Amino acid sequence: MPASTILSSVRQPLATAFASVAANVYDHVPEFPPNPFLAVVPNDPYMEIDLIGKTNVKVKLNYIITCGVQNADSAAALDNLEQLIISILAAIPSGYEIGTVSQPRLLNVGNGESLSSEIVVTTRYTQTN
Amino acid sequence: MATTVITGRDLTLTIASTNYDAQATSVVLSNQATIDTYQTLDGKAYKHIDDQWTLAVEMLADWGATGSLCEALWTAWESAPNTTLAVSLTAVTGAVFTCNVLPEVPSIGGAAPGAQTVSLSFTVVGNPSETFS
Repeated sequence: MPASTILSSVRQPLATAFASVAANVYDHVPEFPPNPFLAVVPNDPYMEIDLIGKTNVKVKLNYIITCGVQNADSAAALDNLEQLIISILAAIPSGYEIGTVSQPRLLNVGNGESLSSEIVVTTRYTQTN
Repeated sequence: MATTVITGRDLTLTIASTNYDAQATSVVLSNQATIDTYQTLDGKAYKHIDDQWTLAVEMLADWGATGSLCEALWTAWESAPNTTLAVSLTAVTGAVFTCNVLPEVPSIGGAAPGAQTVSLSFTVVGNPSETFS
């Protein structure tokens, strides 16, 4: 059995779970995300050890799902962001603790401006091999 | 003597031959001693008359999983509540404590945002045995 990675075991499956969400999905911090988008990025602290034993490396992983929509019109942008957040919450698979959703804020990326929010999620990962 | 530090990562817990490392977040084996106190003409006198050990385990719930620890505990409690389960607790390599506990049924459920957790407090039958090497 090949050694597991956080990318293949957690970040990619989480991003894949968002296939039904109407947004550009990233399992990492994108250089220039086109709106609407969501990106799975590490939170702080990123990894915590909360299980006994050291036979396997087991960590609690904390992520932020950053999502954003075009901010051309304030009222429409907030409505679009709310709909995007709700669709993301519905698509988060089991095994993830869902935290809070942050206040919407403006995010400047390249030449564009997004109205974005952050969703806090947590899961567990066990290293194999 | 150099300072020694052992941590929760050094712990290994086995109940009824099943390892709990994958789910347990905390395990504590502790004793509540019963000590009678007598007021004598010479002052206080103490008599240790009894011990009651307890094994407290905190773990993430795993109902429905293959090889579920919660389901194994439920089955043990349901089928033979008065039959003890063998426990082995390794504090660190070279310090192993064994005892027998009565089955305890796990709690079910939890709060909406967080992981479902289980708190167990096993009654130890008799006293633990130690192996120091």
